Amino acid sequence: MIIGENIHKSFGDLEVLKGVDLHVKPQEVVVLVGVSGSGKSTLLRCFNFLEMINSGKITIDGHTIDPKKENLSKIRAEVGMVFQHFNLFPHKTVLENVIEAPITVKKMKKEEAKKLGMNLLRKVGLEDKADVYPSKLSGGQKQRVAIARSLAMEPKVMLFDEPTSALDPELVGEVLQVMKQLAEEGMTMVVVTHEMKFAKEVADRVIMIDQGTIIESADPKTFFENPQSERTKQFIQLVE
Amino acid sequence: MLELFSTVYEVFMRTYPGFLRATVVTLQLTAIGVVLGTVIGLVFALMKISGSKILQGIANIYITVIRGTPLIVQIMFLYFGIVEIYTMDNFWAGAIALGVHNGAYIAEIFRGAIQGVDPGQREASMSLGMNRKQTMQRIVFPQALRRSIPPLGNQFIITLKDSSLVYIIGVGEIFSLANREAAQSFQPFESFLVVALYYLVLVMIFTYLLRWYENKLDVDKA
Repeated sequence: MIIGENIHKSFGDLEVLKGVDLHVKPQEVVVLVGVSGSGKSTLLRCFNFLEMINSGKITIDGHTIDPKKENLSKIRAEVGMVFQHFNLFPHKTVLENVIEAPITVKKMKKEEAKKLGMNLLRKVGLEDKADVYPSKLSGGQKQRVAIARSLAMEPKVMLFDEPTSALDPELVGEVLQVMKQLAEEGMTMVVVTHEMKFAKEVADRVIMIDQGTIIESADPKTFFENPQSERTKQFIQLVE
Repeated sequence: MLELFSTVYEVFMRTYPGFLRATVVTLQLTAIGVVLGTVIGLVFALMKISGSKILQGIANIYITVIRGTPLIVQIMFLYFGIVEIYTMDNFWAGAIALGVHNGAYIAEIFRGAIQGVDPGQREASMSLGMNRKQTMQRIVFPQALRRSIPPLGNQFIITLKDSSLVYIIGVGEIFSLANREAAQSFQPFESFLVVALYYLVLVMIFTYLLRWYENKLDVDKA
């Protein structure tokens, strides 16, 4: 579904990604872990072209993307993204947040979009909040709206950039629950997270990124019980 | 003290018909200055964030020159400078000078408000497939407008008070009337005290309206 080949990315003199290869299969749930600054969030942002790679190749759904020639908006519409800080539109109600892109980008009729929006809000358990503004929601509710907003574009793959890191501990569960449900429905997902319980329960594959390269890639059982690299062993001890 | 009060009252009662007419002129000058300034400010703010070096350069020159010179010089320059090419009513010369002057300050207000919108808003919008134009129109500008209302209100009040400077080219607004009244009646203290009260009341009304509008916006959002 998403294939990254030999991805390099630098910010000025700092090389953040040093030749990353990642192949995410359809319906696969891949969890990226690593210490902060390891490059895992940057990799995710490259897949959505919020950051432009310096060299390498990104293929989405069988289509290799040349950022200079393509309409990046069209590609981004197919790749959903959920942010650490939600980034809901504060001047729009919950429902307006969800239906904004279908109406503006897909030119969907308002009535149709509203129906879609209400269905998605029901799915994340927030249909009763349709008409309130984001400032009235808890962090967990905001993130569930953000997920619904992303799903409204019917993306082929969803990227999650530390979706629960900004949440109070008691609100983490409701967001992970929604993500787990999405995974069960067969959504292809790439998740950067520090929630190891989620990685163990939901991931098909856990990948450890360290200093801009992939140093471990395995199914969750092998990853946590029998890691190969020293750095991964240290990391697992640190987070558990 | 009582005597002062009674002479001020006497001046007020004698002059208020003229002052009310002149207040209309002051409000017209302010309104034109504000509307024109907002339009100019928006254009130059867009130029500044356009990414084009040429447009940015033009906007920078405009803002630097206007902010670096006194309004009274700009009024005189526009009035006498433009009269050479095109005969202009002194009222319109004054109003346009106020608009041009305001435009530079309002451009900076808009630019600050647009750049002050959380970059995450742009990213979220782009990640949903909205292009740059859609992102600006639907997500960034509405939020920037909200953010710019308090400083804009402040600028409106400054414009109201600054409109007094066009007395120098003989526009019949309230300060020029007070000036004339002071000279004719030999009561400068009372005349300027009365005009100060007119400005104070107008500013208070403006301030109240702005606060009401800001509250209304916040309620809508909450």
